[in-house]
Amino acid sequence: MLTGQITSAIIGIALAGAILFLVRRDHLHGPYALWWFAVAAATFALGVFPALIAWLGRVTGIFYAPVLPIVVGLSLVLIRMLKLDIDRSRQERQIRRLTQKLAILEQELDRLDGRSGRPRLPEDDAS
Amino acid sequence: MASPATATAALPGAALIDTRLEAYGECRPLPQHPPVSTTVSDLLKAAPCLAVMPARDEAPTVGAVVEGVRRTLGCEILVVDDASSDETAAAARCAGAAVLRLPIGLGAWGATQAGIRYARRHGFPQVITLDADGQHLPESLPLLIEAQARTGADVVIGTCTQRLSRAKRLAWRYLRLLTGLELADFTSGLRLYDADAIEVLSGQAASLLDYQDVGVLMLLSRSGLTITETPVEMLPRRAGRSRVFASWPVVARYMMHTTVLCLAQLDPARRRTTGADPSC
Repeated sequence: MLTGQITSAIIGIALAGAILFLVRRDHLHGPYALWWFAVAAATFALGVFPALIAWLGRVTGIFYAPVLPIVVGLSLVLIRMLKLDIDRSRQERQIRRLTQKLAILEQELDRLDGRSGRPRLPEDDAS
Repeated sequence: MASPATATAALPGAALIDTRLEAYGECRPLPQHPPVSTTVSDLLKAAPCLAVMPARDEAPTVGAVVEGVRRTLGCEILVVDDASSDETAAAARCAGAAVLRLPIGLGAWGATQAGIRYARRHGFPQVITLDADGQHLPESLPLLIEAQARTGADVVIGTCTQRLSRAKRLAWRYLRLLTGLELADFTSGLRLYDADAIEVLSGQAASLLDYQDVGVLMLLSRSGLTITETPVEMLPRRAGRSRVFASWPVVARYMMHTTVLCLAQLDPARRRTTGADPSC
């Protein structure tokens, strides 16, 4: 039987370790890495020292202290998801514009090559 | 009607060559290539506008539509191949159109915007968009140009009100209420855009729109441009079906999407900037 402290320590360390691994492997870049580093540190600290939660509960006045990390965690996840969608929209815009620009430049290249008159051959696309 | 001198100055081919001169600078000599239109009579006949046709898997019809547009307008034609899986690009090229091939499918509006950005880059003062599936008759294109010359509007939409189903009429009434735009048909792809509209629509703000209708029209209207409609004849679609009015779930999603878009951009001042063409 595990005690509650060991369970939360294992979860905290595993999560923090996984995040650190991903950041170090360059799967998360720039601002994302910073955010997830903070999350890793928090899960590690709260997992290994659950007494922190009780202390935070007293400080913030939340009576049933164990619910505090859930509330805080959920709000942070929501903020994170919002930011994610904002970033995704920005990237979608960039991808669309790049796609259009690529097609325009390819057409001009073909024209400069004097290839506008003949139908494109399959080997043109292969390159 | 512009005099031959101004027509020549405004010709897309001239602008194209100028752009290239700038682009090449002193790095290497300008390669010799044939001008866009080959003969002098072609040059004079050519209206200084670009016909843009977004096309996805329209190989059976695109050639005939390109021919028709050239016969009627004699202007340069650009087919934007929206990542087709068939021979659309080859068919369009054989018919004599310039072709943009989008490597990733961007949808009807994304393809149209690619054409509008091409027009801006090459200095075309007008863009006419039409569908490649043959439902828009090339003979109706001069009507758009004529309506533009008559009303001075920045955008002219070719509308076929007889063709609208009851569901569409109901939907458009709802959109009129929501957007404050006095238009009979929001989705018609038969449109003429002038230089100001080209400038607005080639910008970043138009890149995240998913449909060419309400979002685009509201953006234009918000930018202070005038939109008018002119009645034209249209054929029923020969192949394929409307992308917007395909099935009830799709319609529901479209209406929800559009409602959110409208509510997000609600602006009372905009409601006065559009005027409907009194003749329709």
